[in-house]
Amino acid sequence: MIELILFYAFAGVTIFSAMLMVLSRNIFHSALFLAVTLLGVAALFAMLGSFFIAGVQVLLYIGAVVVLTIFVINLTKQVIGQDVAQVNEYVLPAILTSVFSACLIILAVMKTDWGTRIAQSVAQSELTDNTALIGRQLLTNFVIPFEIVSVLLLAALIGAIAIVSRDKEVQK
Amino acid sequence: MITLNHYIILGAILFAIGIFGVITRRNAIGILMSLELIFNAVNINMVAFSRFLTPTAAYGELFTIFIITVAAAESVLGLAIILAIYRKRQVLNADEMNLMKW
Repeated sequence: MIELILFYAFAGVTIFSAMLMVLSRNIFHSALFLAVTLLGVAALFAMLGSFFIAGVQVLLYIGAVVVLTIFVINLTKQVIGQDVAQVNEYVLPAILTSVFSACLIILAVMKTDWGTRIAQSVAQSELTDNTALIGRQLLTNFVIPFEIVSVLLLAALIGAIAIVSRDKEVQK
Repeated sequence: MITLNHYIILGAILFAIGIFGVITRRNAIGILMSLELIFNAVNINMVAFSRFLTPTAAYGELFTIFIITVAAAESVLGLAIILAIYRKRQVLNADEMNLMKW
């Protein structure tokens, strides 16, 4: 029972702040609402028993991505504090597209019979911490994707520096 | 009792909000933030499927880690490109970045 209340509370916070994020006229407020949304998602990850993912979510998304976004918002002064129109003319098609896709997913989920697999697996494991399992998988079965992702991060790092700093050299 | 359907429906709603944001936002940074929302919707689905269908293998959690990493790289590069465009052309709205649009 208390689990259900917690789920609806976290889901409500997540969806409400996501709506505020999308509809907010000030881009800075939008970034702050994004942080609240990500925190709600992290709480949902913790409810699902993957505490490691919840921690990664807080560290990487809220600690890195949102902070970086706020940095860029502050560097591009054009929009700070202004309540210029943030929404283009495609509002109605956007509403149609998003409602249609959500209805499609929800209908597909409702029609699917997950059946016995869920009952089995939930009975097998009562909300245990699977951090050790993730670590073991990451260094045995998933070692090649793990290394590729680290190369990708290095490439992104070099690319970001190259893109942003080229402008300065031209000006000199 | 929370079932798998609860989480998938939550993920679908979050996904729809993200799509709405991506289509309607004029600001390029806003588009990137809405993209993060879509990634998070997918991550909720991944972890929920993993918890309910394969709890002893944790494949969904592993894919979530990779998605988070790639999303971070994507966000860094996107913001770098936005910053470079802003420096060059003083433009931040996606509907005004039409130099390459035919």
